[in-house]
Amino acid sequence: MSEATETVAAAPATRELPIEFRATGGEYFRIWIVNLLLSIITLGIYSAWAKVRRLRYFYGNTSLDGASFEYHGRPIAILKGRIIVVGSYLVYVTAARLWPSIWLQLLLLPVVIFGVPWVVVRARRFQMRMTSWRGLRFNFHGRYGGAMGAFVGWTVLAGLTLFILYPMALWKQVTFLATNTAYGSERFKFHTTVGRFYEFCLIALGISFGAGLILALLLGIVGVAALFSGALPAPGSPPAPPDPAAVLGLMAIVMPFYLAFFLLVNAYYRASFLNASIGGVSVGPHRISSRLKFGPLLGIFFTNLLGIVFTLGLFYPWAKVRMLRYQLANTSLIATGDLGQFVADQEAGPGAVGEEAADFFDIDFGL
Amino acid sequence: MSIQGRYFDATSAQAHEASLETMGGPWRLSGPGRELLFDPSQVKISDRLGNIPRRIRFEDGSEFETPDNDAIDALLRERGQVRGTMVHALERRWGIALAALAGVALVTFAFIKYGVPALAGWTARHVPASVDQRIGAQTLDILDNGFMRPSKLSLQQQSRVDNLFRRMTADLQDGHDYRLEFRTGAIGTNAFALPSGIIVISDDMVKLAHNDEELMAVLAHEIGHVRGRHALRQIIQAAGVSAMALVLLGDVSTISSLVAAGPALLQARNSRELEAEADEFSRQWLDANGIARSHFDDIMCRLESQMHSDELPSFLSSHPATSERARCVSESEAPAAAEPQEN
Repeated sequence: MSEATETVAAAPATRELPIEFRATGGEYFRIWIVNLLLSIITLGIYSAWAKVRRLRYFYGNTSLDGASFEYHGRPIAILKGRIIVVGSYLVYVTAARLWPSIWLQLLLLPVVIFGVPWVVVRARRFQMRMTSWRGLRFNFHGRYGGAMGAFVGWTVLAGLTLFILYPMALWKQVTFLATNTAYGSERFKFHTTVGRFYEFCLIALGISFGAGLILALLLGIVGVAALFSGALPAPGSPPAPPDPAAVLGLMAIVMPFYLAFFLLVNAYYRASFLNASIGGVSVGPHRISSRLKFGPLLGIFFTNLLGIVFTLGLFYPWAKVRMLRYQLANTSLIATGDLGQFVADQEAGPGAVGEEAADFFDIDFGL
Repeated sequence: MSIQGRYFDATSAQAHEASLETMGGPWRLSGPGRELLFDPSQVKISDRLGNIPRRIRFEDGSEFETPDNDAIDALLRERGQVRGTMVHALERRWGIALAALAGVALVTFAFIKYGVPALAGWTARHVPASVDQRIGAQTLDILDNGFMRPSKLSLQQQSRVDNLFRRMTADLQDGHDYRLEFRTGAIGTNAFALPSGIIVISDDMVKLAHNDEELMAVLAHEIGHVRGRHALRQIIQAAGVSAMALVLLGDVSTISSLVAAGPALLQARNSRELEAEADEFSRQWLDANGIARSHFDDIMCRLESQMHSDELPSFLSSHPATSERARCVSESEAPAAAEPQEN
């Protein structure tokens, strides 16, 4: 049977394979609301099952070259992760209430430092192993030490250098996550240079700075106007507290601008980050292309926000689907040759990463 | 039954066009050049979810993927396996989705209206006094640094009101450490209670009172807040409502933080109930001390007419509408105000 579908080509042809996404807002709304109600009436326990359905729905509706992705996560693993996270949070909060002391926070520091890499590796491994395409699983080979360096070491360095090394740290982290990921036996490669991370981080910083400047100017203009209208005391007059109504009015003028700038910076950062990270990945002879534009993304952010606010949250399923649809419509695989040539990881064997291998530590921390 | 789809053998990503025959005995999977037999008792069929492709996983880890959901559903019915389609039966229909929406809205409303206040009340009663005191002192500090200035009232005036307050709280014996603070500044004509028994009164509020009875009515209202631990309850309620919004809207990342602020509006309703509770305490205190309830109404109405300019719609307001809490009488009808009021 395999002989029949394998076409033998003289030179492997390069072609662009789009990622198809078939989820619809209406369908997802029904799934979301039914599972939300079930989660509420079971006091949150069903939420683990709801998460599996949500991910299965989105993975199953995403397909590449005619085959859809599949999510294999089991609700019990997710429930375990949630119980551990909520449990440790409650223990910490209770402890902080009973013995309010600075020592408790100092004690928390090593827990965070040594815990973060472990959680990063566990979460990523679970996520990858629970994903398959054409019957082959993804995998993650990252080790604790590597995660410690990328997520703790480089973050500390970035902080010590007043964030000059921040793009470098980000690049190290993305590189760690990407190059340790595998599809079948094929490790991902990551090609984006650290220069590109510096480039978009600097531009994002520039946009934030410019937005801050405009905001300050605006505040100045509104302040001067308020001064002339007598809402604020003139300088030189005895200091009196400002009229609360004037302060509220000032905020009403400035807030929409603040919100707009916040969305603008966010949209730019998100688009460039995804393009630089996902778009820099190659798997075997095939590479991923990601071409998100920040203008359309900003439009989606803005309309989603309006929709969610004005429907008291009911627009959420449509917002989620729109966001994913835009993102996936601008992601594709530049394939060279046959996609069927990936093989299962022989060391792990097909069973080892399957359901049989689910052990006690098979925990999902990706809340 | 014959189902068309693709077969993946779990050793490579090669796709094999295939059809699955499920008529009696072992299932027969056939494609160009190959035929495989599987024991139907050892297969796992994925649950229906929207219209995503279905997967039949065989014992050896290989799988058959098909977009033909109806054929798989028929197969499951034949095998008597309805469990895999149960949740889908709910998710499929708009009618059930709308009913679920009504259910979520009802539970959310009930939780905000009854659950959160009850939880907050319970928690407030169990929070140790030391925590109360720390929050109270911190809040006063923040207000002093940003919004308030020291009082400009004369020391005689201050000590007169303070003595009144001390007499009122001397025999309460309810474990609260009552303290009256005089301030002026951006707080306007106002009095409010912080956690741990700190009550702040503004100069304008002292001046607004025509007599000691009116002043006592205001102070009794604030003491009512302290006794009910309302300040702490509101802090806890706000946290509870925001946490619930995050639970409902799961992972909206950027947007969730903005939406979480929304319930603060709903929160205003709860605080109106707390105000009504404090009003009731004030009236009962006046009754118990032989002071006419009309003094409470008088100062509330005067306060209201002063703030008339910036009126908010009732559902946004953190205080009950004055018409709900006091019987206001215009100055021309003043004699009527002297009559004892019973409500």
